[in-house]
Amino acid sequence: MIELRQLTKRYGDTLAVDELSFRVEPGHVTGFLGPNGAGKSTSMRLVLGLDAPTSGQALVNGGRYADLRRPLHEVGALLDAGAVHPGRSAYNHLMCLALSNDIGARRVAQVLELVGLSGVARKKAGGFSLGMKQRLGIAAALLGDPGVLMFDEPVNGLDPDGVRWIRGLMRGLAEEGRTVLLSSHLMSEMALTADRIVIVGRGRLVADATVAELTAGYPSLEEAYMALTASSVEYGAAR
Amino acid sequence: MRAVLASEWLKLRSVGSTGYAVGAAALTIVLGIVWTLYVVSLADARGSIRAAAPEEGFLPLVQVSLAVLGVLAITSEQADGMLRTSLAAVPRRGRLLFAKAAVVGGVTLAASAAVLIATYTISRLIAGDRALGFNDIGLLDGLPTVLASALSVAVLALVGLGLGAATRSTAAGIFSVVSLLFVLPSVAAYLPAPWNTRVASIMLPNLVPQIAGDRLSRRLGDGVLPPWAALLVLIAYGAAALLAGYLVLRRRDA
Ligand SMILES: Nc1ncnc2c1ncn2[C@@H]1O[C@H](COP(=O)(O)OP(=O)(O)OP(=O)(O)O)[C@@H](O)[C@H]1O
Ligand SMILES: [Mg+2]
Repeated sequence: MIELRQLTKRYGDTLAVDELSFRVEPGHVTGFLGPNGAGKSTSMRLVLGLDAPTSGQALVNGGRYADLRRPLHEVGALLDAGAVHPGRSAYNHLMCLALSNDIGARRVAQVLELVGLSGVARKKAGGFSLGMKQRLGIAAALLGDPGVLMFDEPVNGLDPDGVRWIRGLMRGLAEEGRTVLLSSHLMSEMALTADRIVIVGRGRLVADATVAELTAGYPSLEEAYMALTASSVEYGAAR
Repeated sequence: MRAVLASEWLKLRSVGSTGYAVGAAALTIVLGIVWTLYVVSLADARGSIRAAAPEEGFLPLVQVSLAVLGVLAITSEQADGMLRTSLAAVPRRGRLLFAKAAVVGGVTLAASAAVLIATYTISRLIAGDRALGFNDIGLLDGLPTVLASALSVAVLALVGLGLGAATRSTAAGIFSVVSLLFVLPSVAAYLPAPWNTRVASIMLPNLVPQIAGDRLSRRLGDGVLPPWAALLVLIAYGAAALLAGYLVLRRRDA
């Protein structure tokens, strides 16, 4: 479970996340939506303890991420697919992460197989296409077989086959009882993947509901999203 | 901690820049051979000469190459975003930096000791019983200086790691190391006496001769530090830089 409590993050005069509170429960895929600059990626960094909140709390399984001893076994995250050393092979990249959390080489081979990168495991990650990097990032998130997963725009750059694969993967992970938080700008895809939706705008909570509830009053999730965020599209403004 | 050490060791081994840095440092062996052959030919023509020891003359090459390795161990992760992935796997930032320091310190100490001892030994073997100046003491008597030099290289790599973490920039990290190695000592040497010798005594490159009990240079004479104090100051350089790096790493958003 992921829980945000009055979470606030300010960068200079930009309020990136503004008293944001919501919970992400296990057992279903929770979609994380919002216009560019709404604070989705920042919220995820705060959950992982990468950035320190200005105020409020971000909890995973009831505790702070920074207190986890071998975090990859509890939480897996893909924040930025490009965040790999370009000269390191996919296998070594995953192995570096695995070693730090006492995960063996067999599991590394397994996740490489799972994301379809076994054939290029010894190739340098710098030469990977965006879609291949996304797959590598997903493999890293799955390394420790964690119960909580966060993916920041994982479909970005994937081919149609990959998009469908992600959809199945996310739903499968949720069905196994895991907590899955997934951000994306592709509404039709999100409608097919997620059961619950959290929408943020300008760092604040706009909606927290099931897909069924959101689409009840609108022809599609996209229409619901457009209506709900109409007043929050204002990039990087001081507020 | 063992797990994080194993991870950092693989990180260092699995990037090309490590090989280049160690290769550049190892170039010293080749340069040392060329230099010794050259001064041997001069000595054969003139009888005897006073030449600089290759493991001392080319020491800056080893120092800079392996200090860059230390800087890159942290700044390359900051530049490509890998640091976030690393911190997600190891959220205790002090633990991550400590593991990096242990691996960088161990690798650079081993590499520099190997390169410097090889350069030292090969040059003496080539020299044979010719009087070249640098070989006027017994083979074993010169070893303390060689080992102190190797230690200074490892400390410089840790200074690079610490200042890289503190400045969060490869360029700034390398510039800091070069300043400590070349810029500050040459400024110190131009202070009025006796301050030139006093200040020069705590400059990083001048700690090596003091640890081995040698004079700083013909112009500056003997340093003011006894060997144990010089060793402590050397270690303090590494510790201070790592502390600065830790404080920044702990506070700042990744
Ligand atoms: N490190 C930072 N320093 C300064 N401002 C930042 C930083 N990170 C994010 N911001 C600002 O915080 C706001 C939220 O950014 P964030 O990346 O969280 O949005 P997002 O919802 O992920 O957007 P997108 O859909 O474009 O990925 C933006 O205004 C952004 O400019
Ligand atoms: Mg984002």
